[in-house]
Amino acid sequence: MKYAVSIFVSVILAATFCFVIWVVATHDYRWEAIAPYRWNLFSGWWMTLQISAASLVGSVAVGVLLTAGQLSGHAIPSFLCRVFVEVIRGTPLLTQILIGYYLIANSIGWDSRFGVGLVILSCFSGAYLSEIFRGGVESIPKSQWLSARAIGFTGVQTYRHVVIPQAIRRVLPASAGQFANLIKDSSLLFVISVHEFTMQAREANSNTYATFEAYLPLIFGYFLLTFPISLLSRHLENRFRYEH
Amino acid sequence: MSIEITGLTKHYGETRAVDGISFAFPDEVQVLVLIGPSGGGKSTLLRLLGGLELPTAGGVAMNGTALPATEEGLREFRRRNGFLFQSFNLFPHLSALENIVLPLVTVHGWQRDEAVVRAREVVARFGMADHVTKRPAELSGGQQQRIALARAMAHGPDLLLLDEPTSALDPEMKAEVLDVVAELCEAGQRIILSTHEMGFARGCADEVVFLANGRLVESGKRDSLFESPQTEVVRSFLGRVMKW
Repeated sequence: MKYAVSIFVSVILAATFCFVIWVVATHDYRWEAIAPYRWNLFSGWWMTLQISAASLVGSVAVGVLLTAGQLSGHAIPSFLCRVFVEVIRGTPLLTQILIGYYLIANSIGWDSRFGVGLVILSCFSGAYLSEIFRGGVESIPKSQWLSARAIGFTGVQTYRHVVIPQAIRRVLPASAGQFANLIKDSSLLFVISVHEFTMQAREANSNTYATFEAYLPLIFGYFLLTFPISLLSRHLENRFRYEH
Repeated sequence: MSIEITGLTKHYGETRAVDGISFAFPDEVQVLVLIGPSGGGKSTLLRLLGGLELPTAGGVAMNGTALPATEEGLREFRRRNGFLFQSFNLFPHLSALENIVLPLVTVHGWQRDEAVVRAREVVARFGMADHVTKRPAELSGGQQQRIALARAMAHGPDLLLLDEPTSALDPEMKAEVLDVVAELCEAGQRIILSTHEMGFARGCADEVVFLANGRLVESGKRDSLFESPQTEVVRSFLGRVMKW
Protein backbone atom coordinates (compact mmCIF):
# COMPACT_ATOMS: atom_id res chain seq x y z
CA MET A 1 0.00 0.00 0.00
CA LYS A 2 2.76 2.37 1.03
CA TYR A 3 4.56 1.37 -2.16
CA ALA A 4 1.50 2.11 -4.30
CA VAL A 5 1.05 5.53 -2.69
CA SER A 6 4.65 6.50 -3.31
CA ILE A 7 4.47 5.40 -6.95
CA PHE A 8 1.20 7.29 -7.40
CA VAL A 9 2.63 10.49 -5.86
CA SER A 10 5.82 10.20 -7.92
CA VAL A 11 3.92 9.75 -11.16
CA ILE A 12 1.57 12.68 -10.48
CA LEU A 13 4.46 14.98 -9.55
CA ALA A 14 6.65 13.94 -12.48
CA ALA A 15 3.78 14.32 -14.94
CA THR A 16 2.86 17.76 -13.60
CA PHE A 17 6.46 18.84 -13.70
CA CYS A 18 6.94 17.65 -17.30
CA PHE A 19 3.71 19.32 -18.35
CA VAL A 20 4.75 22.67 -16.85
CA ILE A 21 8.19 22.47 -18.45
CA TRP A 22 6.66 21.55 -21.79
CA VAL A 23 4.14 24.44 -21.70
CA VAL A 24 6.78 26.97 -20.69
CA ALA A 25 9.42 25.69 -23.09
CA THR A 26 7.21 25.47 -26.17
CA HIS A 27 5.84 29.00 -25.88
CA ASP A 28 6.72 31.21 -28.81
CA TYR A 29 9.15 33.69 -27.27
CA ARG A 30 10.45 36.96 -28.69
CA TRP A 31 13.78 37.07 -26.89
CA GLU A 32 15.13 39.62 -29.32
CA ALA A 33 12.63 42.16 -27.95
CA ILE A 34 14.02 41.88 -24.43
CA ALA A 35 17.69 41.52 -25.42
CA PRO A 36 18.52 45.25 -25.18
CA TYR A 37 17.39 45.18 -21.52
CA ARG A 38 19.63 42.34 -20.38
CA TRP A 39 22.07 44.62 -18.59
CA ASN A 40 19.21 46.42 -16.85
CA LEU A 41 17.95 43.05 -15.66
CA PHE A 42 21.39 42.07 -14.48
CA SER A 43 21.90 45.34 -12.61
CA GLY A 44 18.47 44.80 -11.02
CA TRP A 45 19.50 41.31 -9.97
CA TRP A 46 22.72 42.71 -8.54
CA MET A 47 20.75 45.34 -6.60
CA THR A 48 18.43 42.63 -5.24
CA LEU A 49 21.46 40.60 -4.18
CA GLN A 50 22.99 43.57 -2.36
CA ILE A 51 19.88 44.74 -0.58
CA SER A 52 18.87 41.18 0.32
CA ALA A 53 22.29 40.34 1.73
CA ALA A 54 22.39 43.53 3.77
CA SER A 55 18.81 43.07 4.99
CA LEU A 56 19.54 39.47 5.88
CA VAL A 57 22.23 40.61 8.30
CA GLY A 58 20.00 43.46 9.46
CA SER A 59 17.01 41.20 10.03
CA VAL A 60 19.03 38.79 12.15
CA ALA A 61 20.17 41.72 14.29
CA VAL A 62 16.60 43.03 14.62
CA GLY A 63 15.31 39.51 15.28
CA VAL A 64 17.86 38.90 18.05
CA LEU A 65 17.06 42.26 19.67
CA LEU A 66 13.31 41.65 19.57
CA THR A 67 13.76 38.14 20.97
CA ALA A 68 16.02 39.42 23.73
CA GLY A 69 13.48 42.14 24.53
CA GLN A 70 10.61 39.70 24.72
CA LEU A 71 12.50 37.19 26.85
CA SER A 72 14.16 39.82 29.05
CA GLY A 73 11.65 39.29 31.84
CA HIS A 74 11.16 43.05 32.13
CA ALA A 75 7.56 44.04 31.51
CA ILE A 76 8.03 47.23 29.49
CA PRO A 77 10.63 46.14 26.90
CA SER A 78 8.86 42.82 26.59
CA PHE A 79 5.53 44.55 25.93
CA LEU A 80 7.03 47.05 23.45
CA CYS A 81 8.78 44.32 21.47
CA ARG A 82 5.57 42.31 21.43
CA VAL A 83 3.63 45.32 20.07
CA PHE A 84 6.30 45.97 17.43
CA VAL A 85 6.23 42.35 16.26
CA GLU A 86 2.43 42.24 16.10
CA VAL A 87 2.14 45.52 14.20
CA ILE A 88 4.86 44.63 11.69
CA ARG A 89 3.54 41.12 11.11
CA GLY A 90 -0.06 42.23 10.94
CA THR A 91 0.25 45.01 8.34
CA PRO A 92 1.20 44.98 4.63
CA LEU A 93 4.86 45.42 3.78
CA LEU A 94 3.87 47.70 0.91
CA THR A 95 2.27 50.17 3.33
CA GLN A 96 5.24 49.98 5.67
CA ILE A 97 7.59 50.83 2.83
CA LEU A 98 5.45 53.78 1.73
CA ILE A 99 5.05 55.19 5.23
CA GLY A 100 8.68 54.47 6.10
CA TYR A 101 10.06 56.30 3.10
CA TYR A 102 7.61 59.09 2.26
CA LEU A 103 6.53 59.97 5.79
CA ILE A 104 9.15 58.90 8.33
CA ALA A 105 12.42 59.10 6.40
CA ASN A 106 11.24 62.21 4.61
CA SER A 107 10.40 63.96 7.89
CA ILE A 108 13.95 63.44 9.17
CA GLY A 109 15.46 64.40 5.85
CA TRP A 110 16.85 60.97 4.96
CA ASP A 111 16.78 60.37 1.23
CA SER A 112 18.63 57.09 0.67
CA ARG A 113 16.19 54.70 -1.00
CA PHE A 114 18.60 51.83 -0.47
CA GLY A 115 19.12 52.75 3.19
CA VAL A 116 15.42 53.14 3.97
CA GLY A 117 14.61 49.96 2.05
CA LEU A 118 17.27 48.12 4.02
CA VAL A 119 15.91 49.30 7.38
CA ILE A 120 12.30 48.49 6.52
CA LEU A 121 13.09 45.04 5.15
CA SER A 122 15.25 44.32 8.20
CA CYS A 123 12.44 45.33 10.55
CA PHE A 124 9.84 43.38 8.60
CA SER A 125 11.84 40.19 8.31
CA GLY A 126 13.33 40.66 11.80
CA ALA A 127 9.82 40.59 13.30
CA TYR A 128 9.19 37.18 11.74
CA LEU A 129 12.64 35.92 12.70
CA SER A 130 12.16 37.00 16.31
CA GLU A 131 9.13 34.71 16.57
CA ILE A 132 11.17 31.86 15.12
CA PHE A 133 14.04 32.57 17.53
CA ARG A 134 11.71 32.90 20.51
CA GLY A 135 10.11 29.57 19.62
CA GLY A 136 13.58 28.03 19.41
CA VAL A 137 14.66 29.31 22.81
CA GLU A 138 11.38 28.32 24.46
CA SER A 139 11.62 24.82 22.99
CA ILE A 140 14.74 24.06 25.06
CA PRO A 141 13.49 21.78 27.85
CA LYS A 142 13.24 23.03 31.45
CA SER A 143 15.69 20.32 32.51
CA GLN A 144 18.46 22.04 30.54
CA TRP A 145 17.87 25.38 32.26
CA LEU A 146 17.76 23.63 35.62
CA SER A 147 21.03 21.78 34.95
CA ALA A 148 22.67 25.03 33.91
CA ARG A 149 21.43 26.71 37.10
CA ALA A 150 22.64 23.83 39.23
CA ILE A 151 26.10 24.06 37.70
CA GLY A 152 26.21 27.74 38.61
CA PHE A 153 26.04 29.28 35.15
CA THR A 154 24.94 32.90 34.99
CA GLY A 155 22.06 33.81 32.69
CA VAL A 156 24.45 34.89 29.95
CA GLN A 157 26.52 31.70 30.26
CA THR A 158 23.35 29.61 30.11
CA TYR A 159 22.32 31.22 26.84
CA ARG A 160 25.79 31.12 25.36
CA HIS A 161 26.78 27.56 26.22
CA VAL A 162 23.51 25.71 26.62
CA VAL A 163 20.49 27.37 25.02
CA ILE A 164 21.75 29.03 21.84
CA PRO A 165 23.82 26.11 20.53
CA GLN A 166 20.79 23.86 20.84
CA ALA A 167 18.30 26.44 19.60
CA ILE A 168 20.30 27.20 16.43
CA ARG A 169 19.69 23.71 15.10
CA ARG A 170 15.98 24.05 15.73
CA VAL A 171 15.52 27.48 14.14
CA LEU A 172 17.60 26.88 11.00
CA PRO A 173 14.94 25.43 8.67
CA ALA A 174 12.33 28.08 9.47
CA SER A 175 14.93 30.86 9.29
CA ALA A 176 16.09 29.70 5.85
CA GLY A 177 12.46 29.90 4.70
CA GLN A 178 12.20 33.40 6.09
CA PHE A 179 15.42 34.45 4.31
CA ALA A 180 13.99 33.22 1.00
CA ASN A 181 10.85 35.26 1.69
CA LEU A 182 12.99 38.28 2.46
CA ILE A 183 14.70 38.05 -0.92
CA LYS A 184 11.38 37.85 -2.73
CA ASP A 185 9.81 40.56 -0.55
CA SER A 186 12.58 42.95 -1.60
CA SER A 187 10.71 43.21 -4.93
CA LEU A 188 8.15 45.45 -3.18
CA LEU A 189 10.79 48.15 -2.90
CA PHE A 190 9.75 49.18 -6.42
CA VAL A 191 7.18 51.49 -4.76
CA ILE A 192 10.03 53.73 -3.63
CA SER A 193 11.88 53.28 -6.93
CA VAL A 194 14.68 51.06 -5.76
CA HIS A 195 15.91 49.67 -9.07
CA GLU A 196 15.91 46.05 -8.04
CA PHE A 197 15.32 42.96 -10.14
CA THR A 198 11.52 42.94 -10.35
CA MET A 199 11.36 46.66 -11.09
CA GLN A 200 13.75 46.22 -13.99
CA ALA A 201 11.57 43.40 -15.33
CA ARG A 202 8.47 45.62 -15.03
CA GLU A 203 10.17 48.40 -16.93
CA ALA A 204 11.39 46.06 -19.64
CA ASN A 205 7.85 44.70 -19.95
CA SER A 206 6.18 48.09 -20.17
CA ASN A 207 8.61 49.18 -22.88
CA THR A 208 8.38 46.03 -25.02
CA TYR A 209 5.12 44.28 -24.06
CA ALA A 210 7.22 41.10 -24.06
CA THR A 211 5.73 40.02 -20.73
CA PHE A 212 7.01 36.46 -20.40
CA GLU A 213 10.40 37.34 -21.80
CA ALA A 214 10.72 40.10 -19.21
CA TYR A 215 9.48 38.11 -16.23
CA LEU A 216 10.87 34.62 -16.93
CA PRO A 217 14.43 35.68 -15.97
CA LEU A 218 13.03 36.42 -12.51
CA ILE A 219 12.49 32.70 -11.96
CA PHE A 220 16.13 31.90 -12.53
CA GLY A 221 17.45 35.05 -10.88
CA TYR A 222 15.53 34.59 -7.62
CA PHE A 223 16.13 30.85 -7.52
CA LEU A 224 19.83 31.51 -7.90
CA LEU A 225 19.63 33.57 -4.69
CA THR A 226 17.28 31.40 -2.62
CA PHE A 227 18.64 27.95 -3.46
CA PRO A 228 22.13 28.50 -1.97
CA ILE A 229 20.44 29.58 1.28
CA SER A 230 18.52 26.35 1.30
CA LEU A 231 21.73 24.37 0.72
CA LEU A 232 23.61 26.28 3.39
CA SER A 233 20.81 25.71 5.88
CA ARG A 234 20.88 21.95 5.27
CA HIS A 235 24.63 21.92 5.61
CA LEU A 236 24.45 23.79 8.93
CA GLU A 237 21.63 21.57 10.19
CA ASN A 238 23.90 18.59 9.72
CA ARG A 239 26.78 20.35 11.37
CA PHE A 240 24.74 21.16 14.44
CA ARG A 241 23.09 17.76 14.60
CA TYR A 242 23.57 16.06 17.95
CA GLU A 243 20.78 13.54 18.35
CA HIS A 244 20.62 10.21 16.58
CA MET B 1 28.28 19.11 58.11
CA SER B 2 25.67 20.31 60.52
CA ILE B 3 22.25 21.25 59.18
CA GLU B 4 19.55 23.32 60.79
CA ILE B 5 16.24 24.01 59.13
CA THR B 6 13.62 26.25 60.68
CA GLY B 7 10.07 26.64 59.44
CA LEU B 8 11.15 26.00 55.85
CA THR B 9 8.28 26.60 53.46
CA LYS B 10 7.94 26.62 49.68
CA HIS B 11 4.65 27.29 47.95
CA TYR B 12 4.03 27.15 44.21
CA GLY B 13 0.78 29.07 43.92
CA GLU B 14 -1.71 27.04 45.96
CA THR B 15 0.56 24.01 46.21
CA ARG B 16 2.44 23.71 49.48
CA ALA B 17 5.38 21.62 48.28
CA VAL B 18 7.28 22.12 51.51
CA ASP B 19 5.14 23.21 54.41
CA GLY B 20 6.96 24.46 57.48
CA ILE B 21 9.69 21.87 57.98
CA SER B 22 12.08 22.15 60.92
CA PHE B 23 14.85 19.81 61.98
CA ALA B 24 18.39 20.07 63.23
CA PHE B 25 21.40 17.81 63.02
CA PRO B 26 23.92 19.69 65.12
CA ASP B 27 26.70 17.11 64.76
CA GLU B 28 28.63 16.03 61.70
CA VAL B 29 26.34 14.36 59.16
CA GLN B 30 28.10 12.94 56.16
CA VAL B 31 25.19 11.37 54.35
CA LEU B 32 21.64 12.65 54.79
CA VAL B 33 18.89 10.72 53.04
CA LEU B 34 15.40 12.02 52.31
CA ILE B 35 12.73 9.36 51.90
CA GLY B 36 8.97 9.22 51.66
CA PRO B 37 6.16 8.87 49.16
CA SER B 38 6.30 10.58 45.76
CA GLY B 39 5.01 14.13 45.84
CA GLY B 40 5.89 14.35 49.52
CA GLY B 41 8.31 17.24 49.12
CA LYS B 42 11.68 15.45 48.82
CA SER B 43 12.69 17.09 45.55
CA THR B 44 11.63 20.55 46.67
CA LEU B 45 13.44 20.23 49.98
CA LEU B 46 16.55 19.06 48.14
CA ARG B 47 16.35 22.05 45.79
CA LEU B 48 16.00 24.40 48.73
CA LEU B 49 18.98 22.78 50.46
CA GLY B 50 20.97 23.01 47.23
CA GLY B 51 20.18 26.68 46.71
CA LEU B 52 18.21 26.11 43.51
CA GLU B 53 15.12 27.75 44.93
CA LEU B 54 14.46 30.57 47.36
CA PRO B 55 12.11 29.54 50.18
CA THR B 56 8.74 31.22 50.61
CA ALA B 57 9.47 31.35 54.34
CA GLY B 58 11.91 29.95 56.86
CA GLY B 59 15.60 29.26 56.41
CA VAL B 60 18.43 26.79 56.14
CA ALA B 61 21.78 26.97 57.90
CA MET B 62 24.68 24.69 57.10
CA ASN B 63 27.68 24.51 59.40
CA GLY B 64 26.22 27.44 61.28
CA THR B 65 25.97 29.71 58.24
CA ALA B 66 22.62 30.69 56.77
CA LEU B 67 22.13 30.09 53.05
CA PRO B 68 22.28 33.32 51.02
CA ALA B 69 18.97 35.03 50.35
CA THR B 70 19.84 36.54 46.96
CA GLU B 71 20.16 34.89 43.55
CA GLU B 72 23.81 35.96 43.24
CA GLY B 73 24.66 34.57 46.65
CA LEU B 74 22.86 31.33 45.90
CA ARG B 75 24.73 31.01 42.60
CA GLU B 76 28.02 31.18 44.47
CA PHE B 77 26.69 28.58 46.88
CA ARG B 78 25.59 26.29 44.03
CA ARG B 79 29.02 26.57 42.43
CA ARG B 80 30.59 25.04 45.53
CA ASN B 81 28.20 22.09 45.36
CA GLY B 82 27.31 19.42 42.85
CA PHE B 83 23.79 18.50 41.76
CA LEU B 84 22.40 15.43 40.04
CA PHE B 85 18.78 15.11 38.90
CA GLN B 86 16.70 12.08 37.94
CA SER B 87 17.52 12.37 34.24
CA PHE B 88 18.34 14.74 31.36
CA ASN B 89 21.20 16.31 33.29
CA LEU B 90 23.64 16.43 30.40
CA PHE B 91 23.81 18.93 27.57
CA PRO B 92 22.94 16.90 24.45
CA HIS B 93 24.99 19.00 22.03
CA LEU B 94 28.26 18.37 23.87
CA SER B 95 30.35 15.21 24.20
CA ALA B 96 30.55 13.51 27.59
CA LEU B 97 33.98 15.04 28.14
CA GLU B 98 32.86 18.54 27.12
CA ASN B 99 29.94 18.28 29.51
CA ILE B 100 32.47 18.01 32.33
CA VAL B 101 35.08 20.39 30.96
CA LEU B 102 32.70 23.28 30.20
CA PRO B 103 31.69 24.04 33.83
CA LEU B 104 35.27 23.66 35.03
CA VAL B 105 36.44 26.25 32.53
CA THR B 106 33.54 28.71 32.48
CA VAL B 107 32.30 28.50 36.06
CA HIS B 108 35.40 27.54 38.00
CA GLY B 109 37.97 29.36 35.89
CA TRP B 110 40.25 26.38 35.22
CA GLN B 111 42.67 26.27 32.32
CA ARG B 112 41.27 24.12 29.55
CA ASP B 113 44.05 21.54 29.54
CA GLU B 114 43.94 20.99 33.29
CA ALA B 115 40.16 20.73 33.07
CA VAL B 116 40.51 18.02 30.43
CA VAL B 117 42.99 16.10 32.58
CA ARG B 118 40.67 16.37 35.58
CA ALA B 119 37.61 15.34 33.54
CA ARG B 120 39.38 12.24 32.25
CA GLU B 121 40.43 11.37 35.77
CA VAL B 122 36.88 11.53 37.18
CA VAL B 123 35.41 9.73 34.21
CA ALA B 124 37.93 6.92 34.62
CA ARG B 125 37.08 6.67 38.30
CA PHE B 126 33.43 6.12 37.37
CA GLY B 127 34.32 3.48 34.78
CA MET B 128 33.45 5.64 31.78
CA ALA B 129 36.88 6.23 30.25
CA ASP B 130 35.92 4.58 26.96
CA HIS B 131 32.92 6.81 26.41
CA VAL B 132 34.31 10.34 26.71
CA THR B 133 33.89 11.31 23.07
CA LYS B 134 30.27 10.16 22.85
CA ARG B 135 27.30 12.46 22.89
CA PRO B 136 24.66 11.81 25.59
CA ALA B 137 22.27 10.31 23.01
CA GLU B 138 24.84 7.56 22.39
CA LEU B 139 24.99 6.58 26.08
CA SER B 140 22.63 4.40 28.11
CA GLY B 141 20.66 5.97 30.95
CA GLY B 142 23.07 4.57 33.53
CA GLN B 143 26.09 5.83 31.61
CA GLN B 144 24.50 9.26 31.29
CA GLN B 145 23.95 9.39 35.05
CA ARG B 146 27.57 8.37 35.69
CA ILE B 147 28.83 11.12 33.39
CA ALA B 148 26.47 13.59 35.06
CA LEU B 149 27.78 12.45 38.43
CA ALA B 150 31.33 12.89 37.17
CA ARG B 151 30.41 16.45 36.17
CA ALA B 152 28.90 17.15 39.59
CA MET B 153 32.06 15.78 41.26
CA ALA B 154 34.78 17.17 38.98
CA HIS B 155 35.37 20.44 40.83
CA GLY B 156 35.50 18.75 44.22
CA PRO B 157 32.17 19.92 45.65
CA ASP B 158 31.68 20.57 49.36
CA LEU B 159 28.34 18.90 49.12
CA LEU B 160 26.76 16.58 46.59
CA LEU B 161 22.97 16.74 46.18
CA LEU B 162 21.33 13.79 44.45
CA ASP B 163 17.65 13.98 43.52
CA GLU B 164 16.42 10.42 42.98
CA PRO B 165 19.40 9.70 40.75
CA THR B 166 18.25 6.19 39.84
CA SER B 167 14.48 6.59 39.55
CA ALA B 168 14.51 6.69 35.76
CA LEU B 169 16.76 3.65 35.36
CA ASP B 170 16.20 -0.08 35.01
CA PRO B 171 17.51 -2.34 37.81
CA GLU B 172 20.85 -3.11 36.21
CA MET B 173 21.62 0.54 35.51
CA LYS B 174 20.38 1.47 38.98
CA ALA B 175 23.01 -0.84 40.39
CA GLU B 176 25.82 0.62 38.32
CA VAL B 177 24.94 4.15 39.46
CA LEU B 178 24.39 3.19 43.09
CA ASP B 179 27.78 1.44 43.11
CA VAL B 180 29.41 4.73 42.22
CA VAL B 181 27.40 6.67 44.79
CA ALA B 182 28.26 4.08 47.45
CA GLU B 183 31.92 4.49 46.60
CA LEU B 184 31.61 8.25 47.05
CA CYS B 185 29.93 7.73 50.43
CA GLU B 186 32.77 5.49 51.55
CA ALA B 187 35.32 8.01 50.35
CA GLY B 188 33.83 10.53 52.78
CA GLN B 189 31.92 12.76 50.35
CA ARG B 190 29.18 14.80 51.97
CA ILE B 191 25.92 13.86 50.33
CA ILE B 192 22.25 14.74 50.59
CA LEU B 193 20.21 12.20 48.66
CA SER B 194 16.53 11.68 48.01
CA THR B 195 15.71 8.15 46.97
CA HIS B 196 13.21 5.33 46.78
CA GLU B 197 16.00 2.75 47.16
CA MET B 198 15.45 1.79 50.77
CA GLY B 199 18.18 -0.83 50.81
CA PHE B 200 20.65 1.74 49.61
CA ALA B 201 19.40 4.37 52.06
CA ARG B 202 19.81 1.92 54.88
CA GLY B 203 23.33 1.07 53.82
CA CYS B 204 24.67 4.60 53.36
CA ALA B 205 22.69 7.07 55.44
CA ASP B 206 23.87 8.63 58.67
CA GLU B 207 20.62 10.46 59.22
CA VAL B 208 17.27 9.90 57.55
CA VAL B 209 14.38 12.34 57.09
CA PHE B 210 10.93 11.07 56.17
CA LEU B 211 8.66 13.53 54.38
CA ALA B 212 5.00 13.26 53.37
CA ASN B 213 2.61 15.95 52.15
CA GLY B 214 5.34 18.56 52.41
CA ARG B 215 5.81 17.95 56.13
CA LEU B 216 8.39 16.23 58.23
CA VAL B 217 6.99 13.01 59.61
CA GLU B 218 10.02 11.55 61.29
CA SER B 219 13.77 11.99 61.34
CA GLY B 220 16.67 10.32 63.03
CA LYS B 221 19.61 7.95 62.78
CA ARG B 222 19.10 5.34 60.11
CA ASP B 223 19.03 2.38 62.49
CA SER B 224 16.39 3.84 64.73
CA LEU B 225 14.26 5.03 61.82
CA PHE B 226 14.43 1.84 59.81
CA GLU B 227 14.28 -0.58 62.73
CA SER B 228 11.91 1.11 65.10
CA PRO B 229 9.91 3.79 63.31
CA GLN B 230 7.90 5.90 65.73
CA THR B 231 4.96 6.76 63.51
CA GLU B 232 2.36 4.64 61.78
CA VAL B 233 2.92 6.47 58.47
CA VAL B 234 6.57 5.49 58.32
CA ARG B 235 5.88 1.98 59.56
CA SER B 236 3.31 1.29 56.86
CA PHE B 237 5.42 3.01 54.14
CA LEU B 238 8.47 0.90 54.99
CA GLY B 239 6.29 -2.18 55.28
CA ARG B 240 5.00 -1.61 51.78
CA VAL B 241 8.23 -0.69 50.02
CA MET B 242 10.34 -3.34 51.74
CA LYS B 243 7.75 -6.04 50.97
CA TRP B 244 9.01 -6.63 47.42
